[in-house]
Order: sequence, then structure tokens, then C-alpha cells
Amino acid sequence: MSEAEYQIPMRILLIEDDQEAASYMVKGLKEAGHTIDHAANGTDGLFLATSERYDVMVVDRMLPGLDGLSIIQAIRAAGNSTPVLVLSALGKVDDRVKGLNAGGDDYLVKPYAFAELMARIEALTRRTGGTTPETRLKVEDLEMDLLARTVTRAGRPIDLQPREFRLLEYLMRHGGQVVTRTMLLENVWEYHFDPQTNLIDVHISRLRQKVDKEFDQPLIHTVRGAGYSLRASR
Amino acid sequence: MRPASFPALPNLLRTTTFRLALSYLGIFTVSAVALLGLVSWSTSMFIEWQIQETVEAEAVGLSEQYRERGIVGLADVVAERSRADTERRAVYLLMNPEGERISGNLFGWPGEQVDVGGWIRFGIERLGEGRFATEVMARYYELPDGHRLLVGRSLHDARRVKSAINRALAWGLALTILLGIMGGYFTSRHLLQRVDNMSRTARRIVSGDMASRMTVSGTGDEFDSLAQSFNEMMDQLERLVDSIRTVTDNVAHDLRTPLNRLRSRIDVVLLSESDPEILRRTLEETLAEADNLLATFNALLTISQAESAQGAQGFETLDPARLAEDVAELYEPLAEDKGIMLTSRIETGLTVFADRHLLFQALANLADNAVKYTPAGGTVTVTVAQSAKGVEIAVADSGSGIAPEFRSKVLDRFVRLDGTRSTPGNGLGLSLVSAVARLHGASLSLDSAHPEDEFQPGLRVTLTFP
Repeated sequence: MSEAEYQIPMRILLIEDDQEAASYMVKGLKEAGHTIDHAANGTDGLFLATSERYDVMVVDRMLPGLDGLSIIQAIRAAGNSTPVLVLSALGKVDDRVKGLNAGGDDYLVKPYAFAELMARIEALTRRTGGTTPETRLKVEDLEMDLLARTVTRAGRPIDLQPREFRLLEYLMRHGGQVVTRTMLLENVWEYHFDPQTNLIDVHISRLRQKVDKEFDQPLIHTVRGAGYSLRASR
Repeated sequence: MRPASFPALPNLLRTTTFRLALSYLGIFTVSAVALLGLVSWSTSMFIEWQIQETVEAEAVGLSEQYRERGIVGLADVVAERSRADTERRAVYLLMNPEGERISGNLFGWPGEQVDVGGWIRFGIERLGEGRFATEVMARYYELPDGHRLLVGRSLHDARRVKSAINRALAWGLALTILLGIMGGYFTSRHLLQRVDNMSRTARRIVSGDMASRMTVSGTGDEFDSLAQSFNEMMDQLERLVDSIRTVTDNVAHDLRTPLNRLRSRIDVVLLSESDPEILRRTLEETLAEADNLLATFNALLTISQAESAQGAQGFETLDPARLAEDVAELYEPLAEDKGIMLTSRIETGLTVFADRHLLFQALANLADNAVKYTPAGGTVTVTVAQSAKGVEIAVADSGSGIAPEFRSKVLDRFVRLDGTRSTPGNGLGLSLVSAVARLHGASLSLDSAHPEDEFQPGLRVTLTFP
């Protein structure tokens, strides 16, 4: 199985006034196989957002012309539900809350790693995929029953702690995608904070002990410089 | 020659002190005029009263003469008294019922209206020591046989006393105003000089001489207390500037070192390597270092956000047990990997008013430090308890602890006690805890977790929410 199978090409709108950051993002996203439109100010951005169809929009909060949150409010008011990732230098919790209340789907504070941006863009497209609540998750031979709270691999039950269960659930929901450590902290532990050590790695390695150790094919993969990915081995 | 510090007059007129002196002077002048006016008025009243008394006493004498000797006797006495009055102060006139003059030193009826009490005032010209005009106050009597008698006194003396008083009043006022202006001028000049000194000092500080301070004269007056407050403010400011400078230096050092490493690594690899595998590995290592740099930046940002946060924005009432349990759970695998026992003693049902994420970050930093500085076989304990002082959240370890003299120092940014900056970490962990504690109005204390153990006293960091 090839990695390309997981990389669905996307049409992305980037609204960012910092030319250098923008060209770097455009280059990176193009190399990942996506199509990018870039607007350098709020008014152009809103024009593109309302006249074209995109899979994801990446909107900087502070823009000349029209600020990012107003753009999001405007497109949401027009009934457009394209997932939006808000970029901002304002990282306090209430800034984040404001960004999400305005209609943003995720919030990324500058400075950020490109891998983080990529992972979050991909996670956003997956999030909108299924709207009906799932009761079972399946990646290869790993299966999770969300109602009975049980996990089996190749039919063999795997005993997990509550937190390990939530960790695995998140990884499975984003199967095939790269999930960063920060995304895990925010979504599994629900705290916005910077751990000073490789905390998540230790939790992942415990999870690996239970999920991968006794099997030939590891499912939990480390993506260097980015995070983790739950998928079949290449 | 005017001394250099002599203030120019227009300048002086603008000073508050001088204006104050002027308004006091105005009030004083008004009250002095009122007081002296009262004195002058009551003095002239007194003199007039005395004159009336004299006139009435004289009339009594004359009426006795009239009773004993009749109209002829009265005319004689009047004539005699008129002659005897050498100072020409007394006025007499005796007239028959037809209104003709019989005797006295007045040549005719003055023609003025008589008031109710029988008193009459009129002006005459007299020949005394030279010719002089004077006002006269006289009593008018009608005798039983129709004769009329006028007895009076000149008000000349009263007028003289009054004008003497008025003169004294005018001089006194002039002197008061002069002294007031002079006093105002000198006190203003004195105060202006001190204020000038102060603004000169302030200008020196503005132009860069941070060590400059106001002179304190030692009299303990308002200016001294102002100068003292100003000096204290400057001391505090200097401390702050120093600490900012230290932070900036440390930031420069802490960020330059990894940046240099990053740069030279890329440099060397670019010069000598062509093996794509090595190039790739180098790039990955470089990325990890860049991530560390970002983490340091983020920590600095979080600290400054906690420090500059206004009030309790984003605060909520929450049970610290939940946070402490999450921290313990998050760090437990890490501790176990190091052979450390992480336990918790958590009292539930308590509440604190806090920013959930910042408080969690602070507790995570404490747990991180505790695990980092505790050797294998040691213990780390997370506790939440209600004490007399409030809700206490503490993280204790069994490491080598921090000597009491360094405990306040470790709260500063970038301070790392090993001095080598070689252990992982950026020296910002406890600074952040300290900033978060301050933001929450919680007190932060560092003490020995196991004071009885000489070699491994451990460290207990306690956040107390009052």
C-alpha cells in the first residue's frame, strides 16, 4: 500500500499577507500535491472565498483590508461551511475561543512548524467527512467499538486504560493522516500547553506496547519532525 | 549680577506659590480693611458720643443758670462761655421767640433741619488759628418762655482722629501688600529653585543618566517626600531595566547558541557532504533544534502573556483535583520509565478561580522538573489539599533540592542552577510558574520536601490559592 493513497489532493485557499510565509506555504502545500490560491489581503480573500469552491481555507487573523475573523463570519453567514484553519500570532486561550466562535474550525498560533500546519489541514478535511456518529472504527485489522469501549486486533482483545483508549481513538479517526503531538495534547488531554519533554512519545510507546508489540505489522508510525500516523506499514 | 538660578519675573508670576501668596494677600487685605474700617467707625462713633455727652452736660449747666437767673442770666453765661472758648470748639446761640439773636458766638440760625432727638449738624467757617471750616454737632432747646437755645461742639477733633486712623490704615495696607508681594516672591523663588532642581534632575535622567537622583534636603517637607518617592520610583525602574537587560542578554545567549549550532551544522554539511542520507539526517536534526527554539519562544510568550494579562480574563471556577489528576496521569509513564514512583494525594471538591490552561501548564512544568531532577528509585508526589491558608496544590520530589539561598533566584527567567545549560530545558519552567501564580493571586513557595534527609532533601513547590 502506498502513502499516496492517503494524500487526497485538495483545493486550498490561503489568505495571508506575509509574502514570505505565504510563498513558503504555497510551495510546501503544492509539493504535497494540493492546489493553492493565495490572497494577500482581506478583500481579495473574501472575494475568492465566496466565488470559488475550496476544500479548506487557511486564514490569517490580522490582514490588511478586512480582518480574518470578519471574513470567516461573512462566509459563514452566507452558508458556506468550508473548514477554516485560523492562523494567528495571538495565542491566549480567549483569542483562541474568539477565533473558534467566529466560525473557525481550528486555530494555529504562530510560529508553527509546517508539519503542524499540514497535519491540521488534513485533519480538517477528514473532520467534515463523516457527519453521522460512528460506532465502530477500523484501520487494517485493528478495530474499535466505541459503544462497548473495546479494542481488538486480528480478533484478539487489547486492554486499554481510558486515556489510552481516547488516544487510540483519535489516531484511528485520523487514520492515514499525520497527527502532531500538539494536536494530541489539545484533543486527547484537552489542554493547550507546551510540554517540555517528550511526554506524548512516552504515552505513544505505551500504546505501541499494547497495539503493535505482538504483531508483525506495526500500525503506529513515527513521522519524523511531525508526529505520528496510524496506518498500515509500507 | 543676577545669579544664574534667579528665576525671571514672568516665570515667577506663573508659579503656583506666587499665585497662592497673592490670593492670601488679597484675603488678608480685605480682612485688614474690614478690621481697620470697624476700628475707624467705632472710634468716630465714640468721639461723637463723647461730644453729645459734653453738650448735654453743658446744657444742664445752662438750664440751671436759666432757672436761677432767668433769660438775662442765661444770656450772660452764654456770652461769657463764648468768650472763654479760646480753642473755638464750642458753639452757642440764644435767640428770642422772634428768632433774633440775643447772645452767643454764632451769628444766626444755621437753617438746618432739626432731627427727632433735637440734634442738628451743620457746617460753619471759623476764625481760630487761621480760618477753618468745620462741622458742628449741636443740641437745640426751646425754653418755656419761647426763647431758643443752641449748644454745640465742633467735630473738628473727631475728624482729625478719623483721618489719622485712615492714614494709618492706608499706610498699613500699603505695607501689608508690599510685604506680601515680597514674601510671595521670596518663597516662590525658593520653591521654584527646588522645583527647577527637580526638573533638571528629571531631564538628566531622560538624557540617559539613570543613576541621577533628586536631592533630599532632610527637612522632611513635601518636597522631600516627593523627591523620596521619585527616587524610589527610579530605583524600581532601574531594577526593572536591569532585569529586562538581563533577560535580553539571556534571550540573546539562549537563542544565539542553538542558532549558531544550527548554522555551523548546515555550513559544515554543505561544504563536505554529498551523501544524501547524511544530508537528510542533518536536516532532521536541524529541524529538531529549530523546534526547540520555537518551544523556548513559546515559553517566553506564555510568560509575558501571563505577566501582562489584565484581570481574570478566561478564568473559571474549577476543581484543582481534575487538573492535578491529569498532570499526574500525563507524567506517570515518564516517571515510570525513569524508575520513579509518581503518586498523588488529591482532595476533591475544592475550588479555585483560575485559567485552566495556564494553571495546567504551571503544574506540568512542576511535574516535569520533579521528574527531571529526581534520580531513579525516587518519588514524586502531587498533592491537592485545603489548609488554613487556602487551597494548596503542591508537587514534591526526592531529588537533591534547591539550597534556600537559591530558591528565589530560580524563579528568574533563564536561571539554571547547574550553570552549564547542558541538561535539557530552557530555564523558563519556574519563571512561568511564578508568573502564573502572580496572575492568579496565588502565593508560590519552595521548600524542602524531606528536610530530614541531608543528601536528598527534595523540593516541594506549593501554589497556595487564598
